[in-house]
Amino acid sequence: MDVRFTDLKKSYDGRLVLNLPDGGIRSGSRTALIGPNGAGKSTLLRILAGLESSDQGSVQYDGKREMPRQDITLVFQKPYLLSTTVENNIAYPMKLRGVPKAQIAERIDELLEELGLTAFKKQKAWKLSGGETQKVALARALSFHPRLLLLDEPTANIDPHTTAEIERMLLTISEKEAITIVVITHNLAQAKRLCDDVLMLHKGELVEAGESRKVLAQPQNEITRQFVAGELLL
Amino acid sequence: MDTIGHGFEEAIRLIFAGDAEIFEIVGLSLYVSIFSVVVSTILGIPLGILLGTCSFRGKGILVRIIYTLMSLPPVIAGLAVFLIFMRRGPLGSLQLNYTVSAMIIAQICLVTPIIIGLTYNMVKEKALVVNQLGMTLGAGRFQRLRLLIYEMRVGITTAVISGFGRAISEVGAVMIVGGNIKGKTRVMTTYISELKGMGNFERAMAVGLILLLISFVVNAMLYHFQERESR
Repeated sequence: MDVRFTDLKKSYDGRLVLNLPDGGIRSGSRTALIGPNGAGKSTLLRILAGLESSDQGSVQYDGKREMPRQDITLVFQKPYLLSTTVENNIAYPMKLRGVPKAQIAERIDELLEELGLTAFKKQKAWKLSGGETQKVALARALSFHPRLLLLDEPTANIDPHTTAEIERMLLTISEKEAITIVVITHNLAQAKRLCDDVLMLHKGELVEAGESRKVLAQPQNEITRQFVAGELLL
Repeated sequence: MDTIGHGFEEAIRLIFAGDAEIFEIVGLSLYVSIFSVVVSTILGIPLGILLGTCSFRGKGILVRIIYTLMSLPPVIAGLAVFLIFMRRGPLGSLQLNYTVSAMIIAQICLVTPIIIGLTYNMVKEKALVVNQLGMTLGAGRFQRLRLLIYEMRVGITTAVISGFGRAISEVGAVMIVGGNIKGKTRVMTTYISELKGMGNFERAMAVGLILLLISFVVNAMLYHFQERESR
């Protein structure tokens, strides 16, 4: 899904937290949103997900202003799982879309296997660890084949093994289903490994955008350079 | 000690003897309590959800009033209902005082705020996160409401059981509006009060034991449900 935003502005209590004159996310790309805390990354993600509206400007999805809610999903940094089994959590969005039972069962098994969660199928959600919870939330988000997947720091506070599993899953799904992925990350190595593109935000403004390898290796903007080098003072 | 011992023996004997009067009183108590809790649930849960999800002017005051009503003294509720339905009251023409209907209305006044208040607290805690989750998974407005109710199911059950506990054990309001009339408005709590006054402790204990047993069964069911949902 191609996403373009124009003249996007958002303020909280009179403080401008997002001011993006023009920008976008290429269809089928994996894009990292990077920048220091308070840069406006989460606000942008929430606007793209339709959880918040901008004060000004617009977002276009495949050239249309109407948001295709059924094709977009967001996984939070601390996901909320429904107080039921893993299986029921993954089934929920498919049930909403009227997917036949047999197909739901098949898709659940497929996702659980890909994420190494088969043994947890009947497990109650509140008994899972942080990493398992994040994987179930990801499986739930992917269950209905969204065209735009938004991830808010999906591997923050997760061990390296689970992080690698999640990254592998995202790469596989991105190649297999041509899904557009936008991920907020503070892990620049992850941005380089996982993403084709990078959007660097600072104080609500887009300071640099481009191919992740180029931007992260040879930033053109001084703020990006300082951020990548760990020298950016807030 | 002797009285208590005798009372206990007599209580067991009365329960197993199938005393018709006692069973009639137990039946009426259950009817009044269950009926009032059902009506309070139908009113209280939607109102609690509305209160928790909507913003409007005066909401803070309304919440404080509901919190106050949650601990409303039963005699005050009973007195208010009595005054409304007394011959010269605003609804005196309905002639409801000293009827089962008035007892049910009084109990609805006591139980509904409890269910509203407890539901409101749960909604406040869960609504935002569940609503956002529903939106990100493509749920419509009605589906998100269903999801919220599903996520609050244990809490809602607890609120309803708390309401039932209040209703079945309540004496002041039903005494004022019902009058403890034998064969008509006599329920377990008012009967215990009367038996105590008459010095018939054995029978009072028998009714008390049945009341305790009902509370135990209801709470055991709640515990079973909570355990099943958290296992």
